Amino acid sequence: MPEYDPEQELGPKFTSAFRGQAETTESQSGRLATVARLRVRRRRQAVMSSAAVVLVVVAIGGSWSVMSGLTGSGPENSSAGQADTGATGVSGPQRTMEAVPSQPSFGAAGCPAVHPILKAPATNAVPAGTGLDVGTPVTGLEACRYDLKAGALLGQQKFSPAIAQQVVDAIKVLPEMNSQLPVFKCAPQTAQPSEAIVLRFTTADGIREIWVEYTGCNSPGFFTGSHTYGLFAAPLKLFMTGPVRPTGSTYLDALKGW
Amino acid sequence: MEAALAAAEARSESIEFEQWVGQKADALMRFAYVLTGDRSLAEDAVQDALTTACARWARVSKADDPEAYVKRMVVNAHISWWRRFRRREAPVEDPVRSAPSAPDGAAARAESEAVWALCASLPDKQRAAVVLRFYEELSYAEIGVLLHCAEATARSHVHRALAALKTTLSKGGAEDA
Repeated sequence: MPEYDPEQELGPKFTSAFRGQAETTESQSGRLATVARLRVRRRRQAVMSSAAVVLVVVAIGGSWSVMSGLTGSGPENSSAGQADTGATGVSGPQRTMEAVPSQPSFGAAGCPAVHPILKAPATNAVPAGTGLDVGTPVTGLEACRYDLKAGALLGQQKFSPAIAQQVVDAIKVLPEMNSQLPVFKCAPQTAQPSEAIVLRFTTADGIREIWVEYTGCNSPGFFTGSHTYGLFAAPLKLFMTGPVRPTGSTYLDALKGW
Repeated sequence: MEAALAAAEARSESIEFEQWVGQKADALMRFAYVLTGDRSLAEDAVQDALTTACARWARVSKADDPEAYVKRMVVNAHISWWRRFRRREAPVEDPVRSAPSAPDGAAARAESEAVWALCASLPDKQRAAVVLRFYEELSYAEIGVLLHCAEATARSHVHRALAALKTTLSKGGAEDA
């Protein structure tokens, strides 16, 4: 007696229903192509604008650094430089660090101005091979905060190896979802996340990332590409500092202690 | 000279993209509609996929099957919606046969409507698996790759949907009797 196969019996019913419904659908192909090209042009303009802003910031930072160096080390200004240093207790190079808010407190972070998260279909779509295996030892961390709508780098911060490992340890014990977070019902426009943070960990195999989503009306959390961890305050408070600290968001406002 | 060549190449790519969309838009829209069950969601998914395809057209157009490549993008867009809207569009607990019992001749159409209504009640990943299996006629291994899950999970999605359909049709049959 032949084995019963529900696919053979019921599959054609699905096929027939799908084909029947599909036939009722039409597209406006001309408009689709035009809108696609317009969107691509806008995205490219946004990327160019961000790159220009980054260049200006780097140029201003560089000029300030050169000027500080001249003021502090020039023989004709040495006494004035020393007096200045004595009065404020801040040396030239340290002032440079303060002048550029995106500069980190632990060495220089190397966040890319154009990151794959800006083009990803969702903030949990970490490209294959780039996500961090939370069991891997890490020796460094740079946190990069991005404005997903403008396609711009908002801030960056570098952390010590100890903090990097603490962040991983705090994430890997989290459940898949934080059930304490509020559930939102919102329109597609507001569902879009506006910001995200990319945690770039240094490992023996190179840089590996965890993407953090805390805005929009989407499922928030920490994403490694293969695992999802719920959004909790414990890891956030370790790296949400300085320029990488958002003022708030739909989900952060509901969390305490971050 | 090089700039002029690059500009000409870009213009040519743009024309090629527009022609390709002209040929494939209907098929993409049909697929997206069956996948999402909603015309506006389908149009958004296709538009997002085409925007990405346009930006990478040089690479997409060299793929073995650009249409399949773009359909993969549509599926990815749908899965991301699934995450965004999973709370908004909660599936009903028991699939309900929405079409009334029909006289002979309309029976096939009524059954088709019931299947479509059932699909609307399926969780989105299950629905995507069913569409990829029975509309796109993909293998379970291919479905697993597209839905970022194991082949066995893809198979399980489809079989759960088939079980639900069987229940729905048998309930409908009992009511009709």
